[in-house]
Amino acid sequence: MTSVSVVRGTNNKPVASEALARFFANNKTLTGELMVGYPIVGSSDGRFTIDAIFVSPQKGVVIFDLIEGADPGDFCDRQDDAANKLEAKLRGYKELVRKRQLAVPLSVISFAPGIADQKKFAVKDYPLTNLGGLPETLAKLDWEATEPGLYAAILSAIQSISTIRKSRTKRVAEKADSRGSKLKALEDSIATLDNLQSRAVLETVDGVQRIRGLAGSGKTIVLALKAAYLHAQHPDWRIAVTFNSRSLKGHFRRLINNFSVEQTSEEPNWEKLRIVHAWGAAGGTERDGIYYEFCRAHDVEYFDFGSAKARYGSSGAFSGACKHALSLFKPGKPLYDAVLVDEAQDFPPEFLRICYEMLDSKKRLVYAYDELQNLSGASLPLPEEIFGRAPDGVPRVNFDGDDPAAPRRDVILEKCYRNSKPVLVTAHSLGFGIYRIPTRAGATTGLVQMFDQPDLWREIGYVVKDGALTPGSNVVLARSEESSPAFLEQHSATGDLVQFLSFPDHETQSQWLTAEIQKNLSEDELRHDDIVVINPDPLTTRERVGPIRRRLLDLGIASHLAGVDTSPDVFFESESPSITFTGIYRAKGNEAGMVYIINAQDCHAAAYNLATIRNRLFTAITRSKAWVRVLGVGKEMDGLIQEYQRVLEHNFELHFRYPTEDERKEIMIVHRDLSAADEKRVKSRQKDLFELVSDLEAGNVHAEDLDDKLLAKLDELLAKRRAP
Amino acid sequence: MPTPVQIMEEANDVIRYLVEVGLAGDQNFAFRRDLPDEYTEVTFPHSHHINIALKNRDYAEIYAVLAQARAYNAILPDGAILQMMYKFVGEDLEQHRLAFFPAPHLADFQSNAEAYLEDEIYADVVAQRNVRFPLRFDFDCRDGICIPLSHPKSHLSLGQYENCRIPLSSAITPIGFVDFVLRNFYHTAFHSFATKLPKYARAFAESIFAEELQVVHVRVPTPAN
Repeated sequence: MTSVSVVRGTNNKPVASEALARFFANNKTLTGELMVGYPIVGSSDGRFTIDAIFVSPQKGVVIFDLIEGADPGDFCDRQDDAANKLEAKLRGYKELVRKRQLAVPLSVISFAPGIADQKKFAVKDYPLTNLGGLPETLAKLDWEATEPGLYAAILSAIQSISTIRKSRTKRVAEKADSRGSKLKALEDSIATLDNLQSRAVLETVDGVQRIRGLAGSGKTIVLALKAAYLHAQHPDWRIAVTFNSRSLKGHFRRLINNFSVEQTSEEPNWEKLRIVHAWGAAGGTERDGIYYEFCRAHDVEYFDFGSAKARYGSSGAFSGACKHALSLFKPGKPLYDAVLVDEAQDFPPEFLRICYEMLDSKKRLVYAYDELQNLSGASLPLPEEIFGRAPDGVPRVNFDGDDPAAPRRDVILEKCYRNSKPVLVTAHSLGFGIYRIPTRAGATTGLVQMFDQPDLWREIGYVVKDGALTPGSNVVLARSEESSPAFLEQHSATGDLVQFLSFPDHETQSQWLTAEIQKNLSEDELRHDDIVVINPDPLTTRERVGPIRRRLLDLGIASHLAGVDTSPDVFFESESPSITFTGIYRAKGNEAGMVYIINAQDCHAAAYNLATIRNRLFTAITRSKAWVRVLGVGKEMDGLIQEYQRVLEHNFELHFRYPTEDERKEIMIVHRDLSAADEKRVKSRQKDLFELVSDLEAGNVHAEDLDDKLLAKLDELLAKRRAP
Repeated sequence: MPTPVQIMEEANDVIRYLVEVGLAGDQNFAFRRDLPDEYTEVTFPHSHHINIALKNRDYAEIYAVLAQARAYNAILPDGAILQMMYKFVGEDLEQHRLAFFPAPHLADFQSNAEAYLEDEIYADVVAQRNVRFPLRFDFDCRDGICIPLSHPKSHLSLGQYENCRIPLSSAITPIGFVDFVLRNFYHTAFHSFATKLPKYARAFAESIFAEELQVVHVRVPTPAN
């Protein structure tokens, strides 16, 4: 077991970095943390990057000055500079200083694997070493972190990448127990990145990197900070951050800007670091997009949404457009040094392929995704399939192999900082249909979807409490204490965290909702931007939300409906507060203390597309930082509530039988997404069949009247269905 | 003749209607403000930003400033914004400015209605846009400002043409204005949002100069008694 954990960031000294990382990864005697390409220290003369740093309870803080090649240059000067700058930064942390002295020793070593004879350059008090001399040089440094907490404090000070979650405006909460006060406490406790997230920000690979994580695990923040970090380290790189909803643009800009200013005391150069829409259209930088840029660069035909829809249908529009462009372009025109894709589950694989083809030979593509938030039906295939194979048949991208000295290419963020356990488990349970009772005759499972790899459950922070996580076995899954921190749920009773409510009609639903919102604002000390109302069915959002917003207006409460061009920042920064109403697509990237989901009855059952429909519910529920109210009307809502009751009865654990491969195949067919045309065909055949059966029953048509061969064929097909 | 209070109420009824049918994504109510010398204004929050619309600037820039500042009574699904301002002396209308500013970077409602109403995520990805131009119904009956034919008291301006002032028979009420916009720019085969607009029998007195009746002009309906 290696006891030094190595975080491989990026710098412009790859050879020395590699040697150093290997040395520490293989070292069996030291403990601590090695970070390469980090930290960045803002100083009076601009950005200053430390090549690498080793923080250890046995050695204190060791800065590495890395030397590529055989010329050490003025390393003494560099050592002084690095030490002074880092010390100045660390002295800002009160817990690291005793009287006027830093309580942790700070040393610097110049590491030059390319210099054979290190003695030639020796200067007293300024250690310079090659790989062979490194153990001896390190041995001369000695420290014992006797003071409890000091090592943790120094590590945390160095790792603290960004204070990200600072509330947009100061929160005023006077009642100690109000919802407003509770939210304030929550926001204060998740103000910094955890270790895993920091690692994910820094670790950079040449090649494709995948970041998976639950809703609320910080994927978007990690991606934004990663872009900012890469930009700080490589200011000349062209970097793109891309997304599919314009509402995320302001969010990205703010995160990246904060990081840059905090870490480097400079604003990013937005010419080099671009936040661009995935699709895009002509009309200047504001309208630009990755696909549009790709078409322009390769001079291939571009489709806008309307023309792509006419050609490939509504749901296949973007994938069709991308595929078309991919079929025509000629490789060898790199446009970017790095591309980072957020919410990749909402993109067709062809789009990721376009991103890949826009990169130079290093292929630095980072994509973040959450399988369960997929709103479009088709889930992302394996990387081997997305990116294709090289001429020799070897996949161009795969994530196998795990080298401790190398940066990880497949990152999973398992901790969820947004949703408490009851909220998250409810969302998973309904999203997968864990407690759904099958409606089809003969169905052996009510599940709507399931991971093909059972182990994914562990990776997203569940533990097996009972049974076995194998196909065909019963299993009980629960969130672990680490992956769902208790402080997220302790502020309120479980019955207050999640509520499901059924109403006889839309009118009563609207009455209840508006009265609650009024109470949230007047008594609970919530702000307007603490409240989001989500309607899960995109087709009905405008018409359903209108009357409710009208009612709120009559009560003197302002609201807005997120539309094509809505930038959430306009409302958050505005002096006139307003409650956000949104359809499911634009709910992405939004989070709020109090989430109301209206018309959840639309998410209970459906003849087709059930996986997509359930994912909408999942996405909506996981927008909640604290409380969620799931409202709906009629019988379907009652059905959904029964399902939730079973989640409650099982104490927010998932009890189910893991489906076999055959069952998984079947549920994929049953709940797959149908295009409008497919749906029409199924309906019309169903009608024909119904009429045939009625006529046979009534004796209007006899089996003997029908074609023998056809009947035999039908017999055969039905028999196949009967015998599993 | 409609009073300031009535005009404000009418404007707000129209805004509520636009919210209720799902056309207004965001809105600001009209409010009344008393000014010195017996002047009363019916206007909207952030209305001071309209100054930009009067300056010589690129239309896309003007639109962006207004939208960013939320300087409107309502914003419609295709990004178009509606503004209504009236100024009275005592109970008598002296000026109004009713403006429709479409979003230059988005497709107009009629050519993209389905995508807007169904909340299509890529509804803003449009390559070919119709030329979208602002239009304004202005009224000004101050002496020395209105001049028969060249500056009709009530007129319609299309685009940003400096001297485009198509004469109107009278000033326009908020309902008259919004009805005009909905009927012409928001009706599709499946949607007729204007038909259920609140109805009032209010209208302003005829104000057109006799000379203007001799050129192409627009007739504003008078209330049925």
